[in-house]
Amino acid sequence: MGIIGMVRIFVVDNGGQWTHREWRTLRDLEVETKIVPNTIRFQELQHEDVHGLVLSGGAPRIGLDGTLGNCAELLEKADIPILGICAGHQFIARFFGGDVAPSAIPEFGQVEVTILEDDVIFEGVPKKSVVWESHNDEVIRLPQECTRVAESENCLVQAMRHKKKPFYGLQFHPEVEHTQYGEQIFKNFISLCTE
Amino acid sequence: MFHAEKFIEKTASSLSEDITRKALIAFSGGVDSTVCAALVNKAIGDRLIAVHVNTGYMRKNESELVVQMMKELSLNYRYVDASQEYYAALKGVEDPERKRKIIGEKFIRIFEQVAREEHIDCLVQGTIAPDWIESGGGLRDTIKSHHNVGGLPQEMELRLVEPLRDLYKDEVRKVARALQLTVAERQPFPGPGLAIRIIGEATEERTRLVREACAIVEQEIERASQKGVMQLPWQYFAVLIPIKTVGVHGDKRAYGNTIAIRAVQSVDAMTCHYSTIPHEVLDAISTKITNTLKEKVNRIVYDVTNKPPGTVEWE
Repeated sequence: MGIIGMVRIFVVDNGGQWTHREWRTLRDLEVETKIVPNTIRFQELQHEDVHGLVLSGGAPRIGLDGTLGNCAELLEKADIPILGICAGHQFIARFFGGDVAPSAIPEFGQVEVTILEDDVIFEGVPKKSVVWESHNDEVIRLPQECTRVAESENCLVQAMRHKKKPFYGLQFHPEVEHTQYGEQIFKNFISLCTE
Repeated sequence: MFHAEKFIEKTASSLSEDITRKALIAFSGGVDSTVCAALVNKAIGDRLIAVHVNTGYMRKNESELVVQMMKELSLNYRYVDASQEYYAALKGVEDPERKRKIIGEKFIRIFEQVAREEHIDCLVQGTIAPDWIESGGGLRDTIKSHHNVGGLPQEMELRLVEPLRDLYKDEVRKVARALQLTVAERQPFPGPGLAIRIIGEATEERTRLVREACAIVEQEIERASQKGVMQLPWQYFAVLIPIKTVGVHGDKRAYGNTIAIRAVQSVDAMTCHYSTIPHEVLDAISTKITNTLKEKVNRIVYDVTNKPPGTVEWE
Protein backbone atom coordinates (compact mmCIF):
# COMPACT_ATOMS: atom_id res chain seq x y z
CA MET A 1 0.00 0.00 0.00
CA GLY A 2 1.32 3.42 -0.93
CA ILE A 3 1.66 6.23 1.55
CA ILE A 4 -1.37 8.51 1.35
CA GLY A 5 -0.49 11.63 -0.58
CA MET A 6 2.51 9.99 -2.26
CA VAL A 7 3.28 11.25 -5.75
CA ARG A 8 2.72 8.75 -8.55
CA ILE A 9 4.74 9.27 -11.71
CA PHE A 10 4.95 6.56 -14.34
CA VAL A 11 7.71 6.10 -16.88
CA VAL A 12 6.41 5.36 -20.38
CA ASP A 13 8.98 3.06 -21.98
CA ASN A 14 9.95 3.93 -25.53
CA GLY A 15 12.87 1.50 -25.48
CA GLY A 16 15.61 3.79 -24.17
CA GLN A 17 18.84 2.58 -22.57
CA TRP A 18 18.09 4.81 -19.61
CA THR A 19 14.33 4.15 -19.11
CA HIS A 20 15.12 2.12 -16.00
CA ARG A 21 17.42 4.90 -14.76
CA GLU A 22 14.43 7.29 -14.93
CA TRP A 23 12.49 4.80 -12.81
CA ARG A 24 15.40 4.58 -10.38
CA THR A 25 15.78 8.37 -10.05
CA LEU A 26 12.07 8.77 -9.31
CA ARG A 27 12.15 5.91 -6.80
CA ASP A 28 15.23 7.40 -5.11
CA LEU A 29 13.26 10.62 -4.72
CA GLU A 30 10.52 8.67 -2.90
CA VAL A 31 8.06 8.80 -5.79
CA GLU A 32 5.73 5.87 -6.37
CA THR A 33 6.72 4.81 -9.86
CA LYS A 34 6.65 2.04 -12.38
CA ILE A 35 7.67 1.45 -15.97
CA VAL A 36 4.74 0.99 -18.36
CA PRO A 37 4.81 0.02 -22.06
CA ASN A 38 4.21 2.88 -24.49
CA THR A 39 1.16 1.03 -25.80
CA ILE A 40 -0.70 1.91 -22.58
CA ARG A 41 -4.09 3.63 -23.05
CA PHE A 42 -4.77 6.94 -21.36
CA GLN A 43 -7.79 5.40 -19.66
CA GLU A 44 -5.61 2.82 -17.91
CA LEU A 45 -3.45 5.60 -16.48
CA GLN A 46 -6.55 7.46 -15.29
CA HIS A 47 -7.57 4.34 -13.33
CA GLU A 48 -4.21 4.41 -11.59
CA ASP A 49 -4.55 8.05 -10.55
CA VAL A 50 -1.19 9.08 -11.95
CA HIS A 51 0.15 12.59 -11.18
CA GLY A 52 2.71 12.82 -13.96
CA LEU A 53 4.40 10.98 -16.83
CA VAL A 54 7.91 10.68 -18.15
CA LEU A 55 8.16 9.76 -21.84
CA SER A 56 11.49 7.96 -22.10
CA GLY A 57 14.04 8.08 -24.85
CA GLY A 58 14.09 5.34 -27.43
CA ALA A 59 16.11 3.22 -29.76
CA PRO A 60 17.95 5.06 -32.55
CA ARG A 61 15.83 7.18 -34.91
CA ILE A 62 12.50 6.43 -33.23
CA GLY A 63 12.01 10.12 -32.52
CA LEU A 64 12.36 10.91 -36.18
CA ASP A 65 9.37 9.14 -37.66
CA GLY A 66 8.20 6.46 -35.22
CA THR A 67 4.71 6.66 -33.73
CA LEU A 68 6.09 5.94 -30.24
CA GLY A 69 3.26 3.54 -29.39
CA ASN A 70 0.35 5.36 -27.89
CA CYS A 71 2.21 8.51 -26.81
CA ALA A 72 0.08 10.66 -29.12
CA GLU A 73 -3.10 9.75 -27.23
CA LEU A 74 -1.39 10.51 -23.93
CA LEU A 75 -0.35 13.98 -25.16
CA GLU A 76 -3.78 14.62 -26.57
CA LYS A 77 -5.77 13.70 -23.47
CA ALA A 78 -3.48 14.33 -20.50
CA ASP A 79 -3.67 17.42 -18.32
CA ILE A 80 -1.06 16.12 -15.87
CA PRO A 81 2.61 17.17 -16.27
CA ILE A 82 4.58 15.27 -18.90
CA LEU A 83 8.36 15.24 -19.22
CA GLY A 84 9.67 13.99 -22.56
CA ILE A 85 13.30 12.94 -22.66
CA CYS A 86 15.36 12.62 -25.86
CA ALA A 87 13.11 10.67 -28.29
CA GLY A 88 10.18 11.50 -25.96
CA HIS A 89 11.05 15.20 -26.26
CA GLN A 90 11.37 14.97 -30.04
CA PHE A 91 8.01 13.25 -30.23
CA ILE A 92 6.33 16.03 -28.23
CA ALA A 93 7.78 18.54 -30.71
CA ARG A 94 6.46 16.59 -33.69
CA PHE A 95 3.07 16.04 -32.06
CA PHE A 96 2.54 19.80 -31.72
CA GLY A 97 3.68 20.52 -35.26
CA GLY A 98 7.45 20.99 -34.97
CA ASP A 99 10.12 19.21 -37.01
CA VAL A 100 12.77 16.70 -36.05
CA ALA A 101 15.75 15.88 -38.27
CA PRO A 102 19.16 14.20 -38.05
CA SER A 103 21.58 16.45 -36.16
CA ALA A 104 24.31 18.13 -38.17
CA ILE A 105 26.55 17.41 -35.18
CA PRO A 106 25.12 14.66 -32.97
CA GLU A 107 26.06 14.82 -29.29
CA PHE A 108 27.23 11.85 -27.20
CA GLY A 109 28.47 12.13 -23.65
CA GLN A 110 29.43 15.36 -21.92
CA VAL A 111 27.99 18.67 -23.16
CA GLU A 112 27.48 22.10 -21.59
CA VAL A 113 23.94 23.51 -21.74
CA THR A 114 22.86 27.09 -21.28
CA ILE A 115 19.49 27.97 -19.79
CA LEU A 116 17.85 30.76 -21.79
CA GLU A 117 15.08 31.85 -19.46
CA ASP A 118 13.91 31.23 -15.89
CA ASP A 119 11.60 28.29 -15.64
CA VAL A 120 10.41 26.09 -12.77
CA ILE A 121 11.91 23.02 -14.44
CA PHE A 122 15.39 24.56 -14.02
CA GLU A 123 14.90 26.05 -10.57
CA GLY A 124 18.17 25.75 -8.63
CA VAL A 125 20.15 24.91 -11.78
CA PRO A 126 22.90 27.38 -12.80
CA LYS A 127 22.70 29.13 -16.18
CA LYS A 128 25.46 26.85 -17.49
CA SER A 129 25.90 23.24 -16.40
CA VAL A 130 27.19 19.88 -17.59
CA VAL A 131 24.69 17.37 -18.95
CA TRP A 132 25.05 14.02 -20.75
CA GLU A 133 23.66 13.44 -24.20
CA SER A 134 23.11 10.57 -26.57
CA HIS A 135 21.24 11.63 -29.68
CA ASN A 136 21.43 11.31 -33.45
CA ASP A 137 18.41 13.55 -34.13
CA GLU A 138 17.08 16.81 -32.74
CA VAL A 139 14.22 19.29 -32.87
CA ILE A 140 15.03 21.64 -35.76
CA ARG A 141 11.78 23.62 -35.76
CA LEU A 142 9.92 24.43 -32.57
CA PRO A 143 6.11 24.07 -32.56
CA GLN A 144 4.32 27.44 -32.23
CA GLU A 145 2.81 26.26 -28.96
CA CYS A 146 6.25 25.71 -27.38
CA THR A 147 9.06 27.90 -26.05
CA ARG A 148 12.76 27.19 -26.12
CA VAL A 149 14.25 27.04 -22.60
CA ALA A 150 17.81 25.80 -23.07
CA GLU A 151 20.45 25.28 -25.77
CA SER A 152 23.95 23.92 -26.31
CA GLU A 153 26.67 24.84 -28.79
CA ASN A 154 25.50 22.28 -31.33
CA CYS A 155 21.81 21.93 -30.53
CA LEU A 156 19.41 24.87 -30.27
CA VAL A 157 16.56 23.02 -28.58
CA GLN A 158 18.03 21.34 -25.50
CA ALA A 159 14.86 22.10 -23.54
CA MET A 160 11.40 23.37 -24.41
CA ARG A 161 8.08 23.81 -22.68
CA HIS A 162 4.52 24.00 -23.87
CA LYS A 163 3.08 27.50 -23.50
CA LYS A 164 -0.25 26.38 -22.02
CA LYS A 165 0.08 22.78 -20.86
CA PRO A 166 2.50 21.43 -18.19
CA PHE A 167 4.52 19.61 -20.85
CA TYR A 168 8.32 19.72 -21.04
CA GLY A 169 10.87 18.29 -23.43
CA LEU A 170 14.58 17.74 -22.74
CA GLN A 171 17.05 16.65 -25.38
CA PHE A 172 19.65 15.73 -22.75
CA HIS A 173 19.34 13.08 -20.04
CA PRO A 174 18.65 14.32 -16.50
CA GLU A 175 18.30 10.72 -15.28
CA VAL A 176 21.96 9.71 -15.62
CA GLU A 177 24.50 10.06 -12.84
CA HIS A 178 26.87 12.25 -14.84
CA THR A 179 24.34 15.02 -15.54
CA GLN A 180 25.33 17.56 -12.92
CA TYR A 181 21.89 18.84 -11.88
CA GLY A 182 19.81 15.91 -13.14
CA GLU A 183 18.33 15.10 -9.78
CA GLN A 184 17.38 18.75 -9.22
CA ILE A 185 15.52 18.79 -12.54
CA PHE A 186 13.60 15.67 -11.49
CA LYS A 187 12.80 17.30 -8.14
CA ASN A 188 11.42 20.30 -10.01
CA PHE A 189 9.30 18.05 -12.21
CA ILE A 190 8.00 16.20 -9.13
CA SER A 191 7.00 19.56 -7.60
CA LEU A 192 5.08 20.35 -10.77
CA CYS A 193 3.25 17.03 -10.41
CA THR A 194 2.21 17.77 -6.84
CA GLU A 195 0.68 21.15 -7.64
CA MET B 1 16.13 5.65 -1.63
CA PHE B 2 17.35 2.07 -1.91
CA HIS B 3 17.39 0.30 1.47
CA ALA B 4 19.78 -2.64 1.51
CA GLU B 5 18.43 -4.19 4.72
CA LYS B 6 14.84 -4.09 3.50
CA PHE B 7 15.92 -5.54 0.17
CA ILE B 8 17.75 -8.42 1.88
CA GLU B 9 14.79 -9.25 4.08
CA LYS B 10 12.27 -9.11 1.25
CA THR B 11 14.42 -11.03 -1.21
CA ALA B 12 15.42 -13.80 1.18
CA SER B 13 11.79 -14.44 2.07
CA SER B 14 10.59 -14.48 -1.55
CA LEU B 15 13.50 -16.74 -2.54
CA SER B 16 12.62 -19.28 0.13
CA GLU B 17 9.08 -19.40 -1.26
CA ASP B 18 10.24 -19.51 -4.86
CA ILE B 19 12.94 -22.18 -4.59
CA THR B 20 11.37 -25.31 -3.15
CA ARG B 21 14.00 -27.80 -4.27
CA LYS B 22 17.69 -27.42 -5.06
CA ALA B 23 19.28 -24.54 -6.95
CA LEU B 24 22.51 -23.94 -8.79
CA ILE B 25 24.22 -20.58 -8.82
CA ALA B 26 26.55 -19.40 -11.57
CA PHE B 27 29.42 -18.16 -9.41
CA SER B 28 32.07 -15.95 -10.97
CA GLY B 29 33.26 -14.54 -7.67
CA GLY B 30 32.29 -10.99 -8.56
CA VAL B 31 30.07 -8.75 -6.44
CA ASP B 32 26.82 -9.70 -8.19
CA SER B 33 27.10 -13.48 -8.02
CA THR B 34 28.54 -13.41 -4.50
CA VAL B 35 25.68 -11.25 -3.20
CA CYS B 36 23.24 -13.55 -4.98
CA ALA B 37 24.84 -16.65 -3.46
CA ALA B 38 24.72 -15.13 0.02
CA LEU B 39 21.02 -14.23 -0.39
CA VAL B 40 20.03 -17.64 -1.74
CA ASN B 41 22.14 -19.35 0.92
CA LYS B 42 20.23 -17.36 3.52
CA ALA B 43 16.97 -18.55 1.99
CA ILE B 44 17.59 -22.23 1.21
CA GLY B 45 20.87 -23.09 2.96
CA ASP B 46 22.76 -26.11 1.69
CA ARG B 47 20.23 -26.86 -1.05
CA LEU B 48 22.31 -24.37 -3.05
CA ILE B 49 25.25 -25.49 -5.17
CA ALA B 50 27.67 -22.87 -6.47
CA VAL B 51 29.37 -23.65 -9.77
CA HIS B 52 32.48 -21.78 -10.87
CA VAL B 53 33.54 -22.28 -14.47
CA ASN B 54 37.10 -21.49 -15.42
CA THR B 55 36.58 -20.37 -19.00
CA GLY B 56 40.27 -19.89 -19.66
CA TYR B 57 39.47 -16.18 -19.95
CA MET B 58 39.82 -15.43 -16.24
CA ARG B 59 42.38 -13.00 -14.87
CA LYS B 60 45.68 -14.03 -13.30
CA ASN B 61 45.15 -16.57 -10.46
CA GLU B 62 41.45 -15.63 -10.43
CA SER B 63 39.88 -19.09 -10.42
CA GLU B 64 42.06 -20.21 -7.53
CA LEU B 65 40.94 -17.14 -5.63
CA VAL B 66 37.28 -17.82 -6.43
CA VAL B 67 37.52 -21.41 -5.17
CA GLN B 68 39.02 -20.02 -1.97
CA MET B 69 36.11 -17.58 -1.68
CA MET B 70 33.52 -20.34 -2.12
CA LYS B 71 35.22 -22.24 0.71
CA GLU B 72 35.26 -19.19 2.96
CA LEU B 73 31.56 -18.60 2.31
CA SER B 74 30.94 -22.26 3.24
CA LEU B 75 29.13 -22.89 -0.03
CA ASN B 76 28.56 -26.31 -1.55
CA TYR B 77 30.57 -25.85 -4.68
CA ARG B 78 31.78 -27.36 -7.92
CA TYR B 79 34.77 -26.12 -9.88
CA VAL B 80 34.77 -26.83 -13.62
CA ASP B 81 37.88 -26.17 -15.68
CA ALA B 82 36.56 -25.76 -19.22
CA SER B 83 39.44 -23.64 -20.58
CA GLN B 84 40.35 -25.89 -23.48
CA GLU B 85 36.69 -26.31 -24.47
CA TYR B 86 36.25 -22.53 -24.57
CA TYR B 87 39.42 -21.93 -26.60
CA ALA B 88 38.24 -24.56 -29.08
CA ALA B 89 34.73 -23.08 -29.30
CA LEU B 90 36.11 -19.59 -30.00
CA LYS B 91 38.65 -20.72 -32.60
CA GLY B 92 38.44 -18.42 -35.61
CA VAL B 93 35.67 -16.29 -34.04
CA GLU B 94 36.25 -12.54 -34.39
CA ASP B 95 32.77 -11.02 -34.11
CA PRO B 96 32.14 -9.73 -30.57
CA GLU B 97 28.47 -10.72 -30.56
CA ARG B 98 29.31 -14.26 -31.69
CA LYS B 99 31.96 -14.50 -28.96
CA ARG B 100 29.44 -13.46 -26.33
CA LYS B 101 26.77 -15.87 -27.57
CA ILE B 102 29.12 -18.86 -27.78
CA ILE B 103 30.36 -18.16 -24.25
CA GLY B 104 26.80 -17.67 -22.94
CA GLU B 105 25.58 -20.93 -24.42
CA LYS B 106 28.59 -22.86 -23.14
CA PHE B 107 27.98 -21.65 -19.60
CA ILE B 108 24.39 -22.92 -19.76
CA ARG B 109 25.37 -26.34 -21.17
CA ILE B 110 27.90 -26.78 -18.34
CA PHE B 111 25.33 -25.73 -15.72
CA GLU B 112 22.77 -28.12 -17.23
CA GLN B 113 25.26 -30.98 -16.96
CA VAL B 114 25.84 -30.29 -13.27
CA ALA B 115 22.10 -29.78 -12.73
CA ARG B 116 21.30 -33.19 -14.21
CA GLU B 117 23.83 -34.87 -11.94
CA GLU B 118 22.52 -33.04 -8.87
CA HIS B 119 18.80 -33.13 -9.79
CA ILE B 120 18.52 -29.36 -9.86
CA ASP B 121 15.84 -27.50 -11.86
CA CYS B 122 16.64 -23.89 -11.14
CA LEU B 123 19.54 -21.61 -12.08
CA VAL B 124 20.30 -18.51 -10.03
CA GLN B 125 22.17 -15.73 -11.82
CA GLY B 126 23.48 -12.41 -10.55
CA THR B 127 21.94 -10.52 -13.48
CA ILE B 128 21.70 -6.78 -12.78
CA ALA B 129 19.87 -3.97 -14.61
CA PRO B 130 22.52 -3.00 -17.20
CA ASP B 131 22.79 -6.66 -18.30
CA TRP B 132 19.20 -6.91 -19.53
CA ILE B 133 18.98 -3.27 -20.59
CA GLU B 134 22.00 -3.49 -22.90
CA SER B 135 21.03 -6.95 -24.16
CA GLY B 136 17.98 -5.31 -25.75
CA GLY B 137 14.74 -6.95 -26.83
CA GLY B 138 11.34 -5.53 -27.71
CA LEU B 139 11.73 -1.81 -28.38
CA ARG B 140 15.22 -1.67 -26.90
CA ASP B 141 18.24 -1.87 -29.18
CA THR B 142 20.92 -4.48 -28.47
CA ILE B 143 24.11 -2.69 -27.43
CA LYS B 144 25.82 -5.95 -26.49
CA SER B 145 24.48 -9.40 -25.61
CA HIS B 146 25.42 -9.95 -21.99
CA HIS B 147 26.28 -13.65 -21.62
CA ASN B 148 23.68 -14.14 -18.89
CA VAL B 149 20.78 -12.54 -20.82
CA GLY B 150 21.22 -12.01 -24.56
CA GLY B 151 23.79 -14.81 -24.69
CA LEU B 152 21.42 -17.43 -23.30
CA PRO B 153 20.42 -20.22 -25.70
CA GLN B 154 16.78 -20.32 -26.86
CA GLU B 155 16.23 -23.79 -25.40
CA MET B 156 17.11 -24.21 -21.74
CA GLU B 157 16.35 -26.95 -19.23
CA LEU B 158 16.72 -24.72 -16.20
CA ARG B 159 14.34 -22.17 -14.73
CA LEU B 160 16.02 -18.78 -14.15
CA VAL B 161 15.95 -16.95 -10.84
CA GLU B 162 17.49 -13.46 -10.89
CA PRO B 163 16.97 -11.62 -7.60
CA LEU B 164 19.15 -8.59 -8.52
CA ARG B 165 17.49 -7.73 -11.86
CA ASP B 166 16.38 -4.25 -10.81
CA LEU B 167 19.65 -3.28 -9.13
CA TYR B 168 22.66 -1.36 -10.39
CA LYS B 169 26.22 -2.02 -9.25
CA ASP B 170 26.24 0.67 -6.55
CA GLU B 171 23.09 -0.84 -5.04
CA VAL B 172 24.53 -4.37 -5.18
CA ARG B 173 27.57 -3.04 -3.34
CA LYS B 174 25.29 -1.62 -0.64
CA VAL B 175 23.72 -5.07 -0.23
CA ALA B 176 27.19 -6.65 -0.14
CA ARG B 177 28.29 -4.26 2.62
CA ALA B 178 25.13 -4.95 4.60
CA LEU B 179 25.88 -8.69 4.27
CA GLN B 180 29.49 -7.95 5.31
CA LEU B 181 30.94 -9.56 2.20
CA THR B 182 34.60 -8.73 1.56
CA VAL B 183 33.90 -8.76 -2.18
CA ALA B 184 31.80 -5.55 -1.88
CA GLU B 185 34.41 -3.23 -3.41
CA ARG B 186 35.79 -5.58 -6.07
CA GLN B 187 35.92 -4.03 -9.54
CA PRO B 188 33.47 -5.39 -12.15
CA PHE B 189 34.68 -8.11 -14.52
CA PRO B 190 32.54 -9.21 -17.47
CA GLY B 191 31.27 -12.80 -17.70
CA PRO B 192 32.94 -13.42 -21.09
CA GLY B 193 36.14 -12.34 -19.38
CA LEU B 194 39.33 -11.63 -21.25
CA ALA B 195 37.78 -12.96 -24.49
CA ILE B 196 36.17 -9.55 -24.99
CA ARG B 197 39.37 -7.71 -24.05
CA ILE B 198 41.03 -9.19 -27.12
CA ILE B 199 39.96 -7.55 -30.34
CA GLY B 200 39.66 -10.31 -32.94
CA GLU B 201 40.26 -13.99 -32.28
CA ALA B 202 40.68 -14.82 -28.58
CA THR B 203 43.41 -17.44 -28.83
CA GLU B 204 45.15 -18.95 -25.83
CA GLU B 205 48.35 -17.06 -26.68
CA ARG B 206 46.61 -13.69 -27.00
CA THR B 207 44.78 -14.41 -23.75
CA ARG B 208 48.15 -14.90 -22.06
CA LEU B 209 49.23 -11.44 -23.28
CA VAL B 210 46.12 -9.56 -22.21
CA ARG B 211 46.02 -11.42 -18.89
CA GLU B 212 49.54 -10.26 -18.11
CA ALA B 213 48.76 -6.70 -19.23
CA CYS B 214 45.56 -6.60 -17.13
CA ALA B 215 47.51 -7.79 -14.09
CA ILE B 216 50.07 -5.00 -14.57
CA VAL B 217 47.38 -2.31 -15.01
CA GLU B 218 45.61 -3.51 -11.87
CA GLN B 219 48.80 -3.74 -9.85
CA GLU B 220 50.17 -0.32 -10.81
CA ILE B 221 46.85 1.50 -10.39
CA GLU B 222 46.15 -0.15 -7.04
CA ARG B 223 49.64 0.72 -5.86
CA ALA B 224 49.23 4.34 -6.97
CA SER B 225 45.88 4.65 -5.26
CA GLN B 226 47.25 3.18 -2.03
CA LYS B 227 50.01 5.80 -2.15
CA GLY B 228 47.37 8.48 -2.60
CA VAL B 229 48.62 9.44 -6.07
CA MET B 230 45.19 8.82 -7.60
CA GLN B 231 41.68 7.73 -6.74
CA LEU B 232 40.92 4.08 -7.48
CA PRO B 233 38.86 4.04 -10.70
CA TRP B 234 35.53 2.24 -10.91
CA GLN B 235 37.03 -0.22 -13.40
CA TYR B 236 40.55 -0.49 -14.86
CA PHE B 237 42.09 -2.96 -17.25
CA ALA B 238 44.00 -3.57 -20.50
CA VAL B 239 42.73 -4.37 -23.99
CA LEU B 240 44.77 -6.20 -26.61
CA ILE B 241 44.58 -4.66 -30.06
CA PRO B 242 46.25 -7.09 -32.43
CA ILE B 243 47.43 -4.33 -34.74
CA LYS B 244 51.15 -4.30 -35.26
CA THR B 245 53.28 -1.19 -35.26
CA VAL B 246 56.99 -0.63 -35.62
CA GLY B 247 59.30 -0.10 -32.68
CA VAL B 248 62.94 -0.39 -31.78
CA HIS B 249 64.24 -2.86 -29.20
CA GLY B 250 67.98 -2.73 -28.47
CA ASP B 251 68.99 -1.32 -31.85
CA LYS B 252 66.80 -3.86 -33.62
CA ARG B 253 63.51 -3.38 -35.40
CA ALA B 254 60.47 -4.51 -33.39
CA TYR B 255 57.02 -5.17 -34.86
CA GLY B 256 54.52 -6.00 -32.15
CA ASN B 257 50.93 -5.64 -30.90
CA THR B 258 49.25 -2.74 -29.16
CA ILE B 259 47.77 -2.61 -25.66
CA ALA B 260 45.20 -0.01 -24.62
CA ILE B 261 44.83 1.14 -21.03
CA ARG B 262 41.20 1.63 -20.05
CA ALA B 263 39.98 3.09 -16.75
CA VAL B 264 36.61 4.70 -16.01
CA GLN B 265 34.68 6.47 -13.28
CA SER B 266 31.07 5.42 -12.88
CA VAL B 267 28.36 4.69 -10.37
CA ASP B 268 26.07 2.38 -12.27
CA ALA B 269 27.88 1.57 -15.55
CA MET B 270 25.14 3.36 -17.52
CA THR B 271 27.31 6.44 -18.05
CA CYS B 272 31.05 6.65 -17.52
CA HIS B 273 33.78 9.23 -17.62
CA TYR B 274 37.28 8.06 -18.49
CA SER B 275 39.62 8.23 -15.49
CA THR B 276 42.48 10.68 -15.45
CA ILE B 277 45.50 8.54 -14.60
CA PRO B 278 48.56 10.63 -13.63
CA HIS B 279 51.39 10.49 -16.19
CA GLU B 280 53.83 8.90 -13.75
CA VAL B 281 51.40 5.98 -13.32
CA LEU B 282 50.83 5.68 -17.09
CA ASP B 283 54.60 5.68 -17.49
CA ALA B 284 55.04 2.86 -15.00
CA ILE B 285 52.30 0.79 -16.66
CA SER B 286 53.66 1.41 -20.16
CA THR B 287 57.24 0.46 -19.31
CA LYS B 288 56.27 -2.57 -17.31
CA ILE B 289 53.94 -3.99 -19.98
CA THR B 290 56.41 -3.54 -22.83
CA ASN B 291 59.32 -4.90 -20.77
CA THR B 292 57.30 -7.92 -19.65
CA LEU B 293 55.68 -8.78 -22.98
CA LYS B 294 58.84 -7.89 -24.96
CA GLU B 295 58.59 -8.64 -28.69
CA LYS B 296 54.84 -9.29 -28.46
CA VAL B 297 53.84 -5.74 -27.44
CA ASN B 298 55.73 -2.56 -28.26
CA ARG B 299 53.04 0.13 -28.12
CA ILE B 300 50.72 1.33 -25.35
CA VAL B 301 47.78 3.70 -25.87
CA TYR B 302 45.43 5.35 -23.38
CA ASP B 303 41.67 5.26 -24.01
CA VAL B 304 40.03 8.66 -23.36
CA THR B 305 36.46 7.79 -24.41
CA ASN B 306 33.40 8.39 -22.24
CA LYS B 307 30.22 6.29 -22.24
CA PRO B 308 28.42 7.30 -24.37
CA PRO B 309 29.75 7.29 -27.06
CA GLY B 310 31.93 4.31 -26.01
CA THR B 311 31.09 1.47 -23.65
CA VAL B 312 33.37 0.42 -20.78
CA GLU B 313 34.62 -2.76 -22.41
CA TRP B 314 35.65 -2.56 -26.06
CA GLU B 315 33.42 -5.42 -27.23
